[in-house]
Amino acid sequence: MSVNQRELSLNAFYAGTGHHEASWRVPGPPLDKKLNLQSVIDVAKLAEHAKLDAFFLADTQGGGGRFKAFEPFTLLSALAVHTKNIGLIATVHTTYNEPFHVARKFASLDHISKGRAGWNMVTGGVEGSENFNRRNQTRFEERYDIAEEFIEVVTSLWDSWEDDAILDDRANGHRFDESKIHEIGYEGKTFKVKGPLTVSRPPQGHPVIIQSGSSDRGKDLAANWGEVIFTAQLSLKHAQEFYKDVNSRLNRYGRNPDQLKIAPGVFFILGETHEQALANEAELNSFVDFENAAKRLSSRLDIDLLSLPLDEPLSIENATKADNLNGARSRHSLILELIERESLSPRQIVHRLAGGRGHYHFVGTPAALADHIEEWFVGEAADAFNIMPSVYHRDFPLFIHKVVPELQRRGLFRKEYKGTTLRENLGLARPGNSIKRKQAVA
Amino acid sequence: MSKPKKKLRLIAFLGMSSGHHAGSWRHPDAGSSTDIDYIIRLAQKAESGLLDGMFLADGYSGAGSRLEPLTKLSAVAAATKHLGLVATAGTVYNEPYLLARQFSSLDHISSGRAAWNIVTGAGSAAHNFSLAEHPPHSQRYKEAEEFVEVVTQLWDSWEDDAVPADRERGVYVDRNKVHEINYAGQYYSVQGPLNIPRSPQGRPILIQAGSSEPGKELAARTAEAVFTAQQTLEAAQEFYTDLKGRLAKYGRSRDSLLVMPGFAPIIADTEAEAREIEHELNSYVDQKKALDVLSERFTINLNDYPLDAPVPLDKARQAEEFNGIQSRHEAVLDPARRGNFTIRDLLYRANGGHGHFTFVGTPLQVADFLEFRLNANAADGFNIMPQLLPSGLDEFVNKVVPELQNRGIFRTEYEGTTFRDNLGLAYPSNQLHRAAV
Repeated sequence: MSVNQRELSLNAFYAGTGHHEASWRVPGPPLDKKLNLQSVIDVAKLAEHAKLDAFFLADTQGGGGRFKAFEPFTLLSALAVHTKNIGLIATVHTTYNEPFHVARKFASLDHISKGRAGWNMVTGGVEGSENFNRRNQTRFEERYDIAEEFIEVVTSLWDSWEDDAILDDRANGHRFDESKIHEIGYEGKTFKVKGPLTVSRPPQGHPVIIQSGSSDRGKDLAANWGEVIFTAQLSLKHAQEFYKDVNSRLNRYGRNPDQLKIAPGVFFILGETHEQALANEAELNSFVDFENAAKRLSSRLDIDLLSLPLDEPLSIENATKADNLNGARSRHSLILELIERESLSPRQIVHRLAGGRGHYHFVGTPAALADHIEEWFVGEAADAFNIMPSVYHRDFPLFIHKVVPELQRRGLFRKEYKGTTLRENLGLARPGNSIKRKQAVA
Repeated sequence: MSKPKKKLRLIAFLGMSSGHHAGSWRHPDAGSSTDIDYIIRLAQKAESGLLDGMFLADGYSGAGSRLEPLTKLSAVAAATKHLGLVATAGTVYNEPYLLARQFSSLDHISSGRAAWNIVTGAGSAAHNFSLAEHPPHSQRYKEAEEFVEVVTQLWDSWEDDAVPADRERGVYVDRNKVHEINYAGQYYSVQGPLNIPRSPQGRPILIQAGSSEPGKELAARTAEAVFTAQQTLEAAQEFYTDLKGRLAKYGRSRDSLLVMPGFAPIIADTEAEAREIEHELNSYVDQKKALDVLSERFTINLNDYPLDAPVPLDKARQAEEFNGIQSRHEAVLDPARRGNFTIRDLLYRANGGHGHFTFVGTPLQVADFLEFRLNANAADGFNIMPQLLPSGLDEFVNKVVPELQNRGIFRTEYEGTTFRDNLGLAYPSNQLHRAAV
């Protein structure tokens, strides 16, 4: 976003017991053996109470056995019934999905939530492809080409009904204005989709489009289509560089910084005092299944961490360079840089990644977290934050009851919702209809 | 000791929000198809009438605007407690992994009330999914068999107790109780496991709707309820006996599969009032367009004939010419074959029922009909499709349900908490794990 009229946005990034992989082991409320919808509703309602912009649910295409969660469209629709203002964002992958289904489900969610849907568009890593082997095996290599076609089809389908296509003229028997419902006739390399969509134009015009890839191709996709970009930045300097980089790509696509909000994550371990926060961090570290976590990280970095002195700075010379990897490239280079910059030992890096997974790692008091947020926002390193409580039952209420009021007091965050849609929360304009625009030009 | 009375299973078809009749959208009271608050009110009304469930049809092409079923039902789930939730989803245009997790998620969200109505899908959708053409009928069913196998195995990929969630022992998910399925078939190759645990009903209920030969066999093998369309008592009894008779070879009992024909009523306190509503609804239909559509089933255009002339059956197409829903073709033409139907009769029947049985009458007459068919081995229950909403559902819940309760053929309270409890269907044991042992 540009400097004038910037308003801070905050998203509650949902993660069950917490973003720290050992969060469930910290003493607290009884653990859920079954998926518990009410606990998710409670989080969304608490976030809404504090006027947060959105509730965000991440997702995977596979990785079953480690990850257990509700499916995004079903969960967000259920949350829509219990909330009124908070946006509802979910990750939905493109590589093995169909644009018609994604367009339709998001349009439906936008109607159900009266204009609060957001799509975090992700191509996905290798994991998951084994569940979709009906698809062409090369889809993974082609995933960015596919994603570009995918989003063009989806946005065209959202425009296939003009805003005023529904007449509902019961007296004269005119249900729709047929001249305002359009086939899209899309023919690309991967997708051929005729349309129109079987849902009328969403209340927001388009659900808000969020992008997450930080690779070069990902940044271009964001610059072309993204209205919010989720990212992981480990330091103020990195975040500012990324902010500048992404914003500089916008005019290539005829866009300006007001149309894109940049949202790094902030993973946090809070305490009433700094000492308490450090103690909470130590407690979490003690619960990490160190051996397994180290093995996983070892295979990613291609260094056998367990064979090295665990408490001495790690040398990354032998680590697998990012080019060799299949997917999640940019996160990998972040990790190597972090190790080098802070001279981390194997034990430290394992512990660090058990939490933020490459996001900024904050340990301290609510006031200090407010300082961090203010510093990055004012310093043009972020327009928004995905807030990532390490242990939900402890850190999330602290964030809501201590950090948000502090930000409000400083005049940095809203005290009331200004509108009723996610676009209004984020300060994003409602898109015009591209099909109408094309017709006007022709 | 007398046998307890057989009870009716009733599911409300709420897919077309204004009602099943093609002209219902023009009625002043009819609701809108994208208004979730209205849809939730309908669902809550159905629940107040203790109905077993609600049902949404679906397709991936065509004119019109309506909410997608799984998002819609998830919203309804959050606002109801007992009502079963049936969504139609087609196999041709879906991925089994994604479908499996969506239905499982709905089952979790609703605390055990999800059901999947299995269809293969209609041909007109091909052009929305990058396919040159819809696969032919027999291939669709072979694919569907594999699809259903993949989905049920994925639903079993987590054992019932795979989540000990034990802080003391330090185990949240017991990885030894989560299994890959390694399915390698002719059409699908899926490793699994699913990324969502086994759901409250074990597996969502499987419902099937195709009445062709391979459809019936698929139903006998895998389905727990069958939605069907028959016009006459004889056809209904024939279908019922046929389906029930196919179960034994799969080691299934007769009551493990419920047969539920469609029933599209217009209900009013007197027959005359009901006929008035029927007439009003038919006056809302663009007659020429409707006859054009009906004429697709003929080699001529019905608009060229007088409305009160007999149906020219000799000009009807054969079911095999259709790469569409073959059984529906028969159902639409069947009443004309059996009785002396004029084109007007056929048109009205099609307007109101789209191939399903239509009924115009009083609450007592409706109760008589349902009870008769229940006891005549023609149905275990019905898919109730009020031709006009919301009034048709109100009439049914307020006037028909109490009559059925009085006769002892419908519940006076919900028996349990899940859809399986409502329908009296058993909890499915985990097939995958048993095979692995």
